[in-house]
Amino acid sequence: MIAIDVVMPRLFAEGSGELRVKVNLEPGSLTALVGPSGSGKTTLLRVVAGLDVPQQGRIVVDNIPWLDNEQRINRPPQQRSVGYVFQDTALFPNMTVLENIQFAALKDQHPLIQELIDVTGLDAFRDQKPLKLSGGQRQRVALARALVRRPQLLLLDEPFAALDAQASQALRLVLLELHKTWGTTTLLVSHHAIDVQTLADRVITLVQGHIESDRQIEQRSESVRLQERITRIEYDEARHQWVVETETTQLTSKNPAWSQRRVGDWIRFDV
Amino acid sequence: MPIDWGPIWLTLRLAGVTTLLLLVIGIPLAGWLALSRFRLKPVFEAIISLPLVLPPSVVGFYLLLTFSPTSSLGAWLLKTLNLQLVFSFEGLVVASLIYSLPFMVHPIQAGIENLPVSWREASYTLGQSPARTLWRVLLPNCKPALLTGIVLTFAHTIGEFGLVMMIGGNLPGQTRVASIAIYDEVELLHFQTAHTYAALLLAVSFIILLVVYAINKRVTV
Repeated sequence: MIAIDVVMPRLFAEGSGELRVKVNLEPGSLTALVGPSGSGKTTLLRVVAGLDVPQQGRIVVDNIPWLDNEQRINRPPQQRSVGYVFQDTALFPNMTVLENIQFAALKDQHPLIQELIDVTGLDAFRDQKPLKLSGGQRQRVALARALVRRPQLLLLDEPFAALDAQASQALRLVLLELHKTWGTTTLLVSHHAIDVQTLADRVITLVQGHIESDRQIEQRSESVRLQERITRIEYDEARHQWVVETETTQLTSKNPAWSQRRVGDWIRFDV
Repeated sequence: MPIDWGPIWLTLRLAGVTTLLLLVIGIPLAGWLALSRFRLKPVFEAIISLPLVLPPSVVGFYLLLTFSPTSSLGAWLLKTLNLQLVFSFEGLVVASLIYSLPFMVHPIQAGIENLPVSWREASYTLGQSPARTLWRVLLPNCKPALLTGIVLTFAHTIGEFGLVMMIGGNLPGQTRVASIAIYDEVELLHFQTAHTYAALLLAVSFIILLVVYAINKRVTV
């Protein structure tokens, strides 16, 4: 359980006010934080990550206080076990994709790094520098990098904001896959209804720093199922798995049924 | 009259040693100034910047008083380390370190501060310390600033005159750097020798700046 209770003075478009949020996040949940621009969504993420310090606050993760003003506890970001995906990705341009992920990894995590590279479909770009990647690819690297330390809390700050529809969809699929596999508690800031419909199990609407609504989503929407043609399919002998690519997605699978598929076949992603 | 290359070599040696030592001192200092939220940071910034506004003779005068064997620090250095910092090459190096410090620190600090804040924040959330963030993320991405710091320090040390005169005097082979030699030769009306030294300094300075601007154009992330 992650308990967040913070108060912080803040300037809004309508004038000065305060960010006042009290919320509990269930383990393994994916909560979408929505609301108009400047309502305090990113500020809340930054406070949780330890990048900003609130006037008053208490953040407790699995009974361990990350922040408690009364007890004068304020763990720095390095000690908070968060994965933070910034809107601008904040990838380090001097490092390749692989080096960006390795930089964050703990020792002896090579299998985990490889798993993340496979799941996010980055194998072909592992030795590329971020400047040579598309926006969607960069966000997938940022996601892999944020997850390589197996954080207790994943914070996503509008990861889809600068992406086109296809890249967004590809990233959503990767995010869902990783969330299903790892179950990392996630807080996602987004402006788009489609992200909420397809990803979140809970939606919190923030207006001028206050929670206006907080609702559970019983069943994720399936209205955005994606059907795409296979552009490449081949068997990776070394890893004993099929590598399948569509226009927006690369996936790997050990399922022998893929041997029946050919380039040009339609496949459907159920999200 | 054959030219004495001693002052030229001494000048280049002084500039080289000063630049190397200031790289070691200046990088962590610039990183700390760029990343720290320490309240008294402006005090440190003002102290580091003092040589920019003070006449070299003022800095030299106070260093002369501080390092003189008659002062307590000078006496202690001489007694315990057998180190005399006035009228010696070592003294010139220490004085140059102080006098050229802002020329190394300021460009690197500005280079780091101009990088996106999200890079260092991302590194922190990935569990990395400020020191590792500086070394692995920030410095490799501000190479032009590093190069500028190195060159400004080297070039500034080559051109020192007042400070050297105050703390080093004019001892051949020890403290008689090129700028002092030029002054000395003019005093002796040896204009041809002075001209040779001056032309050499001009050429060296121009070549250094030319190389820097050429490299700076090529340095990309």
